[in-house]
Amino acid sequence: MGDATDQDRFAEVFLPHLVDAFRLARWLAGSRADAEDIVQEASLRAFKGIRGFGGGDSRAWALTIVRNTSYSWLAKNRPSAVVLTEDLDQTARDRLDQSPAMERTPEAALIAKVEAEEIRKAMATLPVPFREVLVLREIHGLDYRAIAEIAELPVGTVMSRLARARRKLLDAVSGGVT
Amino acid sequence: MTLSKDDELLLNAYLDGELDFLEASRFEARLASEPALAAEIEAYRLLRAVLRSDLAEDVPSPDLRRRVTSSLDLRTPRRTPAWGALAASFLAGAVLAGSMTIGVLHREAGDELASEVVSAHIRSLMAPAPTDVPSSNHHTVKPWFNGKLAFAPVVPDLGSQGFPLVGARVDVVGLEPAATLVYSRGKHLISLTEIPAGKEAARPARSYEERGFLARSWSQGGVAYFAVTDAAASELEAFVRLFQAETAGKGQS
Repeated sequence: MGDATDQDRFAEVFLPHLVDAFRLARWLAGSRADAEDIVQEASLRAFKGIRGFGGGDSRAWALTIVRNTSYSWLAKNRPSAVVLTEDLDQTARDRLDQSPAMERTPEAALIAKVEAEEIRKAMATLPVPFREVLVLREIHGLDYRAIAEIAELPVGTVMSRLARARRKLLDAVSGGVT
Repeated sequence: MTLSKDDELLLNAYLDGELDFLEASRFEARLASEPALAAEIEAYRLLRAVLRSDLAEDVPSPDLRRRVTSSLDLRTPRRTPAWGALAASFLAGAVLAGSMTIGVLHREAGDELASEVVSAHIRSLMAPAPTDVPSSNHHTVKPWFNGKLAFAPVVPDLGSQGFPLVGARVDVVGLEPAATLVYSRGKHLISLTEIPAGKEAARPARSYEERGFLARSWSQGGVAYFAVTDAAASELEAFVRLFQAETAGKGQS
């Protein structure tokens, strides 16, 4: 890519990941329209910073920018959604510990019947930092280490957040039909 | 049942392919002997299947790309893809494969199934092991699928023809468990996924390229097949031809 223009590099490095970028922003921001605004903003940042891309995993690079742009956007437009992660982990842990141990034997049968729509609703109620790791894992198919790099977290935290995110979704799904 | 915190983490890490071989084997032994744990992981698998099949289908409006490119004053890039060479070898393959028709030479929007199969292949490469059952013996691999699938996949032995079997795993594709055989070619792995008759029965022969991986799909005997690899296109073609020759007329048994 020696003397390629910034436009060429952008088209090579960022544009191929537009759908991935959209999916991440869509789940962080909550709506499609907001997600498209975020992706556009992220594109601008990526374009300005394209010379900072030193090769390697362009998808992770693009997703990192989209993730950071989403957080700036949330801080500005949905300040309540962005909670200090330390606080969040503590409150989330408390909430989890307080939730009664439900009998969930027929869970599997249950989920099979549950509309995807309900899972979407449950996703929307997850705190952003939980949703983020879940989306990067399930929709983008990234492993723990890649998620840790994009979300700037220790791998152990990625693992525990994923576990809690899934537990919450399963509880939400089985909670409605006891 | 309610899992202990430790078991919950273990189950998640297992599901995500993040356990090393030893830990994974131990966990699988527990799954086999603890029905409650097995039921629990089934719930997680279903949750994953719903997340992957439904949520992953969100696509931006067609406008987004235009908005992005026009705001940056980019000419909408029409990159010349490396299709020339690939197309040539695929066409050669199509001629050799006789009646097979060659489809569109790129991944069509909305072909989520192909995308899922490629994703499953990529994930398997990230996991500690690309297979759930490592074995080069097709007599070991075939019965391993018993009870895991609602059909019996074909497991041809291509070892003497340069594609030794490495093992197998179960992928969830389009919400259904699918049989995936893993073969090797030099340092490259080839994932061969079989999806039984049904909605995918009449999958046309088609080639894809996604994130540097090549994939081929075709159907035979009421089963849809996908082969995914990072090996060269010519190797994939050779593999597909051998596989088709070995499985001709067998289909689902």
